[in-house]
Amino acid sequence: MSRPTPTRIVTGLWFAATVIILVLGFHQAIFVAPMEATMGNVQRIFYYHVPSATAGLIFPYVNLIGSLAFLYWRRRDPLKALAADALALAAAEVTIVFTSIGLVTGMLWGKPVWGIWWTWDERLTTYLLLWLIYVSYFVVRRLSSTGQTQTLAAILSIFAGIDVPIVYMSIRWWRTQHPSPVFFGGPDSGLDPSMRPAFFLNFAGWIMWGVFITAFRYALERRRQVAEQNAALHAIEASLEIPHQ
Amino acid sequence: MTWHSFFDLSTMEHRHLLFVYVGIWVVQLGYLSWISWNWLHTKNPND
Repeated sequence: MSRPTPTRIVTGLWFAATVIILVLGFHQAIFVAPMEATMGNVQRIFYYHVPSATAGLIFPYVNLIGSLAFLYWRRRDPLKALAADALALAAAEVTIVFTSIGLVTGMLWGKPVWGIWWTWDERLTTYLLLWLIYVSYFVVRRLSSTGQTQTLAAILSIFAGIDVPIVYMSIRWWRTQHPSPVFFGGPDSGLDPSMRPAFFLNFAGWIMWGVFITAFRYALERRRQVAEQNAALHAIEASLEIPHQ
Repeated sequence: MTWHSFFDLSTMEHRHLLFVYVGIWVVQLGYLSWISWNWLHTKNPND
């Protein structure tokens, strides 16, 4: 059993706080928040759908920061570039998990409320585009054999960074099937005070979960990169020890 | 709502509510498990 380090203690406390907040959020969303008058109980999907869908718009910027750092360092400092690429990869995976959840839970909410699973309105279409950019990101990372895989992926993350503000503004710029913004949407927007604890607990909880998972995935990728480097070094050393005849 | 109505599968509204809450936890815990498994099966460079 390894000795607890400050990093491990902070990580453990962060994870414990996240789980407690998510448990409280679940309790508020299902058992405490009042039933919405128009939609009934199915409106409670809101407390899980919106935090996940919003996280899908936040973590692309972590991915973008890692990607821009990679592009900056790739020739100047390859070791720092590797770390930046690990951060970009971790954030991209977390993004595709959250955007996939946002799309699927949106459809599960849309069918009983709108009577349709999907419509090509601006919010849904731009969000689907974001998801497709990240699918492309992983296809490139997995299948590209050009030697420029990380650079190509970093450029794709710039496209995602451009799409995110369009997704966010879509329900402000156009009249969409998707509801108008609940927050920062003008004088008619807002959430009933009795529903706020359920929403904000789940929002905080899922963002904290995303931060934890990104950090854990980053640590895993760094461990994998170092193991790969060590294996390559050992192979070189072993080849140098072969006696010449 | 109660636990009983949360697990009520009689209407589409209730089924979809349950699918969302259970599905999100299954996906997120599945992803966390995948990372954890790989963490345990990737050699620690400090060892």
